[in-house]
Amino acid sequence: MTLQIALLGGVVLLSVAAILVRDILKAAICLAVASLLLGILFFVLNAPYAGVFEISVVAGLITVLFIVTIALTRAEGDVRESKWVAWVFPLFFIVFLAIDLLTMKALIGKIPTLASSPEGGTFGEALWKGRTFDLVAQIGVIFAGVFAVLALFRKRSKDE
Amino acid sequence: MIFLFIALPLVVAGLLPLIGKISKKALPDILANGVFLVLLVYAGIVGKSLISQGGIVQQLVWLGEPVNIHLALDGFSLFMLFTVTLVGLCVCLYSINYMEHYGDKATYYALLLIMLAGMNGLLLVTDLFQVYIFLEVAAIASYALVAYGLGHDELEASYKYLMLSAVASAFILAAIVLIYGLTGSLGFESAAAGLRGLDARYMVGLCSAFFIFGFGLKAALIPFHAWLPDAHPSAPAPISAVLSGLLIKVSGIYALTRIFLNVLGLTPALSTILMYLGAISVVVAAFLALGQKDIKRMLAYSSISQVGYIVLGIGLGTPLGILGGLFHLLNHAVAKSLLFLNSGSIEMSTGTRNLDEMGGLAKRMPWTAGTSLVGSLSIAGVPPLGGFWSKLIIVIALIQAHHWVFALIAILASVLTLWYYLLIQRQAFFGRLNERWREVKEAPLWMTLSTVILGLLCIAFGIFFSLIVGSWIEPARDALTAGAQALLTTKGM
Repeated sequence: MTLQIALLGGVVLLSVAAILVRDILKAAICLAVASLLLGILFFVLNAPYAGVFEISVVAGLITVLFIVTIALTRAEGDVRESKWVAWVFPLFFIVFLAIDLLTMKALIGKIPTLASSPEGGTFGEALWKGRTFDLVAQIGVIFAGVFAVLALFRKRSKDE
Repeated sequence: MIFLFIALPLVVAGLLPLIGKISKKALPDILANGVFLVLLVYAGIVGKSLISQGGIVQQLVWLGEPVNIHLALDGFSLFMLFTVTLVGLCVCLYSINYMEHYGDKATYYALLLIMLAGMNGLLLVTDLFQVYIFLEVAAIASYALVAYGLGHDELEASYKYLMLSAVASAFILAAIVLIYGLTGSLGFESAAAGLRGLDARYMVGLCSAFFIFGFGLKAALIPFHAWLPDAHPSAPAPISAVLSGLLIKVSGIYALTRIFLNVLGLTPALSTILMYLGAISVVVAAFLALGQKDIKRMLAYSSISQVGYIVLGIGLGTPLGILGGLFHLLNHAVAKSLLFLNSGSIEMSTGTRNLDEMGGLAKRMPWTAGTSLVGSLSIAGVPPLGGFWSKLIIVIALIQAHHWVFALIAILASVLTLWYYLLIQRQAFFGRLNERWREVKEAPLWMTLSTVILGLLCIAFGIFFSLIVGSWIEPARDALTAGAQALLTTKGM
């Protein structure tokens, strides 16, 4: 339990740091470490597949994409931010934490044992047999992402 | 095979880049319009016969083997599918000419079809998590379409839309996780049954609050509307029409209604919250629209106001209120798409969206002016157009339920709506022709044809309103009223 709380605390702190630090490279690294800790937390909570995906995709692949993008783009002066942004986030975060704590307190003891639910089973069964329709939607998400890149990075001809 | 509503747009979208290499314009135009036409006919003829005995759940069969893909079709989802494909077809016809100067039509159509697949999927799913994924399919395609012009304003609006929409999705996902945590199930029916057997009033209240926040943002209800007045004007006109006419209704209103009425059940407290949100949106957005000089921005604020009417009607929860809300959804989808398309025609001909710079355009663009007048009067609620009947039904439903103040607000805001639409007409189309527009010509054939079809639909929905209500709206209402039983019992109705 102590390990779980320590990992969860680390995830929260590093996520907050990712938002608050000004340097986007440092923000990307904070996010990657937060994601790594979340992945470990998944392993500790007996969700190895979620852990593998979290660490390989979010902590690994997406971080590489962020860092490559940061390396390829030029800094063009500081972006001005209005002062209220510095107030709104901590305020929102405190409200969120309060709601989250109350929610979790109310949920403890009421959560049914999900493994025995009709939608349980092994990971493979759950993904390929139980959630087949989600995979169709995933194809839609991938298509949308690919075509969005094609649209946003297209070359415009002279007559346009 | 109702899976066609999702599979056909996805397959054609996947093929379009290859087809675009062979033919840059004609084939993508024909294919994309063909998909919308096939699905419209399918919804109108086959869909209607499929649900003649009530709602159905179809399991997909692939090469003789059943696959674990279940799709549900009832009066409400069929009505929405019909609206989406009907308005979508007109928008796609309009795009034939309008998207010429944006280039890469194949990619544009592919994104439009993916958005269609996302919306259709959302309308047919039987599961809360699938609602979330299809919501994302439609949303990701729409971010790219808003930024399609690649200008500074378009990219900024798209980014703002993406950020706020991501917040909305996070709240929706959090609510779904909570329901799964409580019931161990994600299916609409099993989750509803699980929640009925639990004494978890506060948790259900929290889920409802998360859903209202999430879907309220997607539907751009006030105070969750900040993204819409930027995103809708910045997008190309056909996309503004789809966003305002369809997307906010499917990913906001439909999802909210389906979950509140068929999963959580509409309680008196929820009903009151929805009615207040609706009424605030109706009034505040109408005043905000009044102060706009950019025609598309004015139309965007008007969308928020009209969505308020829909939420007011559905939130009331009585059979007549739901009927009025759904009928207004159809009328607004058609009329607002028409007005956004016309604003695109004006912008293409004159190069401006500023109402102060227009004037007398009716002399040069008679079809655009005529159809704009029809669309404006329909949304403002002038008889005998469709918008009049839907607003009248909402007002009667409010009076029947003794909500006199809400009824008065609905009537007064309608006058305000008429005011700002007459301002658009006067500033853009009537008066002396501005010298700058002496050489302006009417919009090209496909653009004019699509707006004429939508204008005729506004008139037809008004004249044949009892036929439309009987054949499309009542079956949709009947699929929802069971979810409002608890509320109706409380009200003694």
